[in-house]
Amino acid sequence: MTDTASTVITVSQPEVAPRRRRHNVALWMSVAWLVLVIASAVLAPWLGFLDDPHKPLAGPPEEGPSWSNWFGTDQLGRDMFARSVWGGRLSLSIAGPAVGIGIVVGGVLGVLAGYFGKWIDLAVSSVVNIALALPALVFALFIVTVLGQSYMNVTIAVTILSIPAIARIARAQALRFAAREFVTVAHMMGARWPRLLFREVLPNVVPALASIAFLAMGIVIIAEGSLSFIGISVGSPSITWGNILAAGRGRIEQSPHIALITGGVMFVTLMALNFVGDEMLRRLDVREARI
Amino acid sequence: MLRFFGMRLAQLAVVVLAVTLLFYWMLNLLPGNPCVAAFGGAATQEQIAECEEDRNLNDPVIVQWAKWGGDVLTGDFGKSYLTGRTFGEAINNALPRTLLLLAYSQFLALGAAIPLGLWSGYRQNSAGDKMVSGGAFALLASPVFVVGLVLILIFAVKLDWFDLSGYEPISEGLVAHFKVMFLPSVTLAAGLLPVYLRLLRTDVIGTLQEDFVGTARAKGLPVRHVLLRHVLRPSSFTLLTIFGIQAAQAVNGAIVVEFLFDLDGVGSLLVSWVAAREYLLVQTLVALIAAVFVTVTTMVDLLYSVLDPRIRRK
Repeated sequence: MTDTASTVITVSQPEVAPRRRRHNVALWMSVAWLVLVIASAVLAPWLGFLDDPHKPLAGPPEEGPSWSNWFGTDQLGRDMFARSVWGGRLSLSIAGPAVGIGIVVGGVLGVLAGYFGKWIDLAVSSVVNIALALPALVFALFIVTVLGQSYMNVTIAVTILSIPAIARIARAQALRFAAREFVTVAHMMGARWPRLLFREVLPNVVPALASIAFLAMGIVIIAEGSLSFIGISVGSPSITWGNILAAGRGRIEQSPHIALITGGVMFVTLMALNFVGDEMLRRLDVREARI
Repeated sequence: MLRFFGMRLAQLAVVVLAVTLLFYWMLNLLPGNPCVAAFGGAATQEQIAECEEDRNLNDPVIVQWAKWGGDVLTGDFGKSYLTGRTFGEAINNALPRTLLLLAYSQFLALGAAIPLGLWSGYRQNSAGDKMVSGGAFALLASPVFVVGLVLILIFAVKLDWFDLSGYEPISEGLVAHFKVMFLPSVTLAAGLLPVYLRLLRTDVIGTLQEDFVGTARAKGLPVRHVLLRHVLRPSSFTLLTIFGIQAAQAVNGAIVVEFLFDLDGVGSLLVSWVAAREYLLVQTLVALIAAVFVTVTTMVDLLYSVLDPRIRRK
């Protein structure tokens, strides 16, 4: 048996190999970029070569990239590289917890709805469908206004917004696996619902949720970026990618590098998140993930 | 059929009531008197008393909400106590801009996504398809404000083809109108396009496997005819569904785009009211947006059942 299996693999390999490898390069580049961004965000206060992002005249004002200021400087001469790193630190420190909590809460709601069906499903599905049909940014604005502009409140707002989309995917996954033979067999063997839910269904939903986490991370970063771009996020001395871009918009004629480089960093980060998430979904064969 | 419509309308009413009540209740959690805040902290006792009377602040929340609903239904949307401008005046000015922006961008997005999606699905895995799909993937990862800034830099600053001078109505001439509306519409469309494109492409690849496509080709119909008449039609459902979902996405984008291009539409109105702490107006606007959206979604659902009678029996 094992012999035939290995021969089949060796025979088919030459055809598949080149495509796979190319894919892997892009995948590993994405992972490397994400590790770089996350590491610099986490370690920002301890990185010796990084300027103080609030210090004016770290270089001549409104200069393009140079050796001393890799990403150039803004109109006050603050170092844009340091500001990008610190901006990423705040944006990621909002997106990380938001997605973490969103996955747990949305995952639980979705799995319960998908597994138990009936009124639980009806309740969860109707709330989720309504929430998904409403413009999220309007409600994020509303929540942040009501609660006040602080790190905590922005995180709460984007967390609430991430829950329905995650719940919807978790529900679809749970539905799909709850109907599978191995669950029926376990049921026939006398397993009760806690075992069926936690030992049979849940382990199959978790990998999908893990890959959704990458995509959700991208969506939350864009949501927080939009909020801070229009000036309704964490207060002004704090640096986020969104408010660097808002400032760069005002100086787009004189120093386009401010908006372009920060926008580029954001774009590459989002590309990497989407790429890793998509690739994981493809390997796990998850459908209904993309809205 | 009538019963089905009746059920949907009843559901719609319940959802609108629940959503607006929820928002009313949330605003009530705010500390302080909204009437004091509404005057920006500089109001006389009589003004505050008049505002409280006006907004029924002395009633329980549910009664306030019911009276607010009655006012809105009879066309009284309230006013800004700070500037004296009524809600209606502000909306009349802003709404056409936002609606035009949304219409242009949906038109551009669908206009580009349908031919590109059909073609890249038909030529699956060709170099062109890879370019189109790669481009869509990149657009999907581009926040609206980044796309907008890049377009501004290229087309308004470097090439100087378009103006960045706020809004010009159609009555000022089509050229002036499109000079200010083109870039915002393209920016917003860039966010909508990849979603339509990717879904249509997947759909097309599936439909091309069907027997009726083979039959149509065997009859000698030209590829263009088969794609437009036979392959696109079954995808109309997917496009309709996604159009409903994307409508919400489009409004998110519109808020950012209006801010970016100084368009003073409904989104800008919302942001400026939020910044000025005009909670009473924000509340009415958010509730109305919610009501409009729930209505749109219901309409899409109803349209399904018109297109496909099988759904009614489920």
